[in-house]
Amino acid sequence: MASHCRQLFICQLCGLNSPYTYYGQKPPNTRAIVLLEECFVTKDPFSPDKERFLVLGSLCSLCSTRVCAGSDCSLFYTKRFCLQCVNKHFDQFPHQIQTELAKKKQSSKAAVS
Amino acid sequence: MDSDGRRHSRSWDWDSPQCRAQLDEIFFRQHDYIQKGSPEHKEFWAFFDRFQRFKTKRDISGSGGAGRKQDREGKDSRRSGKMDLGLPKEYDARYRINVSVCTRDIEERLGKSRSWQRSSGPGSQEISDCRLALLHFLDFSQKQSFGKLAKLRQEQKNLPIFQYRDRIVALVQSHPVVVVAGDTGCGKSTQVPQYLLSSGFNHIACTQPRRIACISLAKRVSFESLNQYGSKVGYQIRFETTRTPATKLLFLTEGLLLRQIQQDRTLAQYQVVIVDEVHERHLHCDFLLGVLRSLLADRPGLHLVLMSATINIKLFSDYFSSAPVLQVPGRLFPIQVIYQPIPPEEQSSRSEKLDPRPYLRILQGIDQRYPPEERGDLLLFLSGVAEISTVQEACQIYATHTRRWIVLPLHSTLSLAQQDKVFDIAPPGVRKCIISTNIAETSVTIDGVRFVVDSGKVKEMSFDPKAKMQRLQEFWISRASSEQRKGRAGRTGPGVCYRLYAESDYNAFAPYSVPEINRVALDSLILQMKSMCLGDPLSFVFIDPPPAASIQTAVTYLKEQGALDSHGELTSIGSLLAQLPVDVVIGKMLVLGSLFNLVESVLTVAAAHSVQSPFLRSSQHNPDCATARQPLHSNHGDPFTLLNTFNSWVEVKGERGGGSRKWCRRRGLEEQRLYEMVNLRRQFKDLLRSHGLLESEYSASSGSDHGKRRERLTERRKLHQLKRDHERQEGSRRKVLRLDEGQDGEFSSGSDTEGAGKGKNDKEGSGQDMDIQEVKFKLRHNVSELQEAVNVSQDLSSRQQALLKLLLCRGFYPQLALPDEHNSTRKDSEQVFHTKNKQGVVIHPTSVFATDPEVLQVPEDDTREMGPDRKGSSKHQLLAFVTLLETNKPYLSNCVRVPALQALLLVANSVDSNADCTRLVVDGWLELELREPEEALKVLSTALTLRAEWERLLQAQLGQSTQRGAAFQGVSRKVMEKLSEGLVRFLLYTEVSYSLRRLTAFHTQNLYIGPRSESELFHTKAPDLNPLFPGAEAKPDPIKGGLHVTSFFTYNCLADSKDLYSECLRMFWSCPNCDLYMPLTPLERMQHEASCRPAGEQQQLEEEPQGGRAGSSSVTSLTRVYHCDVCNEDLNLTSTEILKHKKQHMYSAK
Repeated sequence: MASHCRQLFICQLCGLNSPYTYYGQKPPNTRAIVLLEECFVTKDPFSPDKERFLVLGSLCSLCSTRVCAGSDCSLFYTKRFCLQCVNKHFDQFPHQIQTELAKKKQSSKAAVS
Repeated sequence: MDSDGRRHSRSWDWDSPQCRAQLDEIFFRQHDYIQKGSPEHKEFWAFFDRFQRFKTKRDISGSGGAGRKQDREGKDSRRSGKMDLGLPKEYDARYRINVSVCTRDIEERLGKSRSWQRSSGPGSQEISDCRLALLHFLDFSQKQSFGKLAKLRQEQKNLPIFQYRDRIVALVQSHPVVVVAGDTGCGKSTQVPQYLLSSGFNHIACTQPRRIACISLAKRVSFESLNQYGSKVGYQIRFETTRTPATKLLFLTEGLLLRQIQQDRTLAQYQVVIVDEVHERHLHCDFLLGVLRSLLADRPGLHLVLMSATINIKLFSDYFSSAPVLQVPGRLFPIQVIYQPIPPEEQSSRSEKLDPRPYLRILQGIDQRYPPEERGDLLLFLSGVAEISTVQEACQIYATHTRRWIVLPLHSTLSLAQQDKVFDIAPPGVRKCIISTNIAETSVTIDGVRFVVDSGKVKEMSFDPKAKMQRLQEFWISRASSEQRKGRAGRTGPGVCYRLYAESDYNAFAPYSVPEINRVALDSLILQMKSMCLGDPLSFVFIDPPPAASIQTAVTYLKEQGALDSHGELTSIGSLLAQLPVDVVIGKMLVLGSLFNLVESVLTVAAAHSVQSPFLRSSQHNPDCATARQPLHSNHGDPFTLLNTFNSWVEVKGERGGGSRKWCRRRGLEEQRLYEMVNLRRQFKDLLRSHGLLESEYSASSGSDHGKRRERLTERRKLHQLKRDHERQEGSRRKVLRLDEGQDGEFSSGSDTEGAGKGKNDKEGSGQDMDIQEVKFKLRHNVSELQEAVNVSQDLSSRQQALLKLLLCRGFYPQLALPDEHNSTRKDSEQVFHTKNKQGVVIHPTSVFATDPEVLQVPEDDTREMGPDRKGSSKHQLLAFVTLLETNKPYLSNCVRVPALQALLLVANSVDSNADCTRLVVDGWLELELREPEEALKVLSTALTLRAEWERLLQAQLGQSTQRGAAFQGVSRKVMEKLSEGLVRFLLYTEVSYSLRRLTAFHTQNLYIGPRSESELFHTKAPDLNPLFPGAEAKPDPIKGGLHVTSFFTYNCLADSKDLYSECLRMFWSCPNCDLYMPLTPLERMQHEASCRPAGEQQQLEEEPQGGRAGSSSVTSLTRVYHCDVCNEDLNLTSTEILKHKKQHMYSAK
């Protein structure tokens, strides 16, 4: 039952899951490309090309939570931060990011209410 | 810094291909992640342009001022007294990308060689610009793909079934059979297989009632399980499969799984079998459940999952000893039900046309009540095609007037392109009004429907076992069906369902529809059961046992067809038929065809009869189509028209390739059906070959030479690429319909103007579509080989035509119809025919005989009065037909005309004669009276001899085929040719005048003499007829009286007005072959004729064996055993000697 043993990436925040084939900064067959963080990587399922990779997520540089690359769960700014940590240190992020996050919060609030 | 860059690159032009090529050398080399020339490479440069434009725009608007930001940044970090994250002071979008591209090695190399390079090479600024764009591009692609993944997972999570995931898996793990019941939209078909797959089950089969569902599910599930480009998830249907050894989840049709069980009794290849849509109760599905149920005992590890709508769940659970049921709620929006019974004055009686007013009122009501901006289409359920066109006509007038509706019909006899239109989108402010048969109830799902109108009626096929006739009748639908129709209004939002019947009617409906097994002929089912050794069909445990009478009819029919022997066991022909995925009739035709040199034609006809007619009904009234079709018509019968059509199409394909599409449109042909035919034909051919009924393909001389083969290989590679490209592009957006869409379609589909009148978008779409069909066709078939094969069947000589007719007639038998004697005085449209069990049937308007009935009439100049109401002629004809279907009238379709006397004598199961054989009764309903006893005897005798020989060769060939792998030698070509020569001569040159009529019930009452006493029998001591009919013993027939001479011929059993003693009346007769001249009784004469060979042959008989024996040992090495059927001896001859030997027979026969 090979599929069962495959390593599964699960985002600890949103629960998104997908099997991954590589963890690290240098996925196979990527030549000049280097990742700036250790990532959970899989083959890009939406590309016919076997060599295309897809970063599923990584660990938060502060709290080591496993987070997916989705903008609702994490943010990369020189390092990976889970959104919880981003909120904790909100003021240290540049205003571009701050306004972006604020806008997002508003729109999601609007959608809920 | 940008102005800086611009200064440096005065001679640098981003738009110049040369400049870009230099950067390609750095970033997109052969082994790089993105390679020069790849689609992504192209995408990158397009992205690059957008990126540069974006940057310039931002610079001009000055919104990204770096300096100002830096300030703020510094303050911010100081203010927060918390842990410092060490983020850069200056914001840069670059910091948000977690990828970097190292190209230092090449840059350095380039740097060194810069001295000799021209100054136009990329400077460090250009390189870093390009790198930055590349980083953003990579980030963008990552985000795009990740977005897809996230969206996918979110959608899966939102499905109602998602919450039951663990319970489903646990149930399946702990029980051999589980029933999952869920209504439309709960996601069971796509999710359950995935749940099982990801929980560790490895070989999963999931059956579907429809082929199209197999393909679309496999596509969807492979996408959802992130294996879109792998083969973990595949499908398998009749002619197509994507299955590989890596496939773990396979979607397949019910019929196909049954065939797999035939090969692999325990279904060892699967761990889990999911049977989807069991509530639809198709014949195959019911049977499959029965087979699986009995298989579970032999396969302890097998898991079975039944998936159904929430209809009659208990039935399925009980059938599998109370299997656990998991019920999942569906995802339907609320639907308002409005009962609007049709007022009595608008109710049409059976014969009248449907009154469209109630339907129109609903359209008007919707226009009044709902503003046009509120989208939502209308789906209208009617019972049949005639009803649809009536309502369509009325609605179209209203639609043209209001310009708020596009009216589209939907039923299975429309062209696929027409059917496809219902999925297109109406322009804003306009609604689609889709008028459909019950095809839209389950098979076709259309999104965006908000209103449903339910007539409450359905036309269903039922089977009359007595008349062996199918009947298409209108019924009230079941409550289950009614709910299903209603549900179609709530798939994408709240909806309204108008029921054109009263609530009390609804309550009186049957709870469930009648399962197919109770409505259809069970011939194929019983045959398959026999071949799967499932024992007595009457004791098989079906979920709903079919009526015993239905089973009995099927068994009787199969016996009549020779598929079962008298004990109900499978015969050799029967076991072969069981493996052909076609009707018994078609299968029989194939087997018969393989014996003669008519395989190619028979293959085509068999294929044509196994698919829907390629002739579109809608084009029938189009004069242009009719004219263009004319050359394809054959007045010998519809199978010949189909044969001509197919052959011409292949010819066009060979000459013009994709041009065949236009050719088809001109003639009102659905090309898809022709593609299906060509595939089926090939499958039939392979089947015949694998059963040793056909010689294996001799290597075609044209294909064998090296250059050609190579050419074909390159071509195939190209075609595969085209197919892949097409698959990638598939599923692109839907077209927007034009307001006048509903008006043309129907009638212009045959004219050339159609393509030209359409928008550009549409033309491109159809062009693409044509390519892919053509590509698939070319991939599967070698056109030149096909053309060769078709050439063989083109321009059949009249002799071949006669023989093909006979084969068809034997295949179609006992489906024969007799033209009414007064037809010559009737109008074309009022020609009447009679079958054995049904009088007064008419020819279906699609048949060639509907437009050309004269060819069926006996020519006046050939008739002779033979008494009151009896026309004597040698030109009487019968129709052999495929289907008898009663709609408003009983219709014959797919007919072929055959010479009556000859065909009957050669194929009928029962031929009874009087003493001098001048009166014959066939199958107890057709009476033939011949004028001359002399001629009568000759004809009968010839027919008996030919038939015996035909049967012998057929058995020899079938016997051969049961020894798998044996070379095709069962019947030598020469013997076969001799037989076909004999048959043809008999068919074409028998010029005996006779009368033909149908016996009435009155006549049949005292038809037979009945058993006679011993003393009378003594009179006519049974002569030894064995040489005439080997294996058959002439003995008194216990019921009819007379002598039972062969399995089908009973001599002298007819109660005759003539004296009873003519059977022993001897008349002088001289044998044309020997010197015999003596008085003989009719039976004695036939006996002599059968055993007496022409003089030449007899001589041969004596000489040949000696020659064979005398052969020296050196010669014997070259000789082989040759069985001469004329001499009926095994001879040791060399090939040349065999030829000589055969030639002698030929000469002596003349």
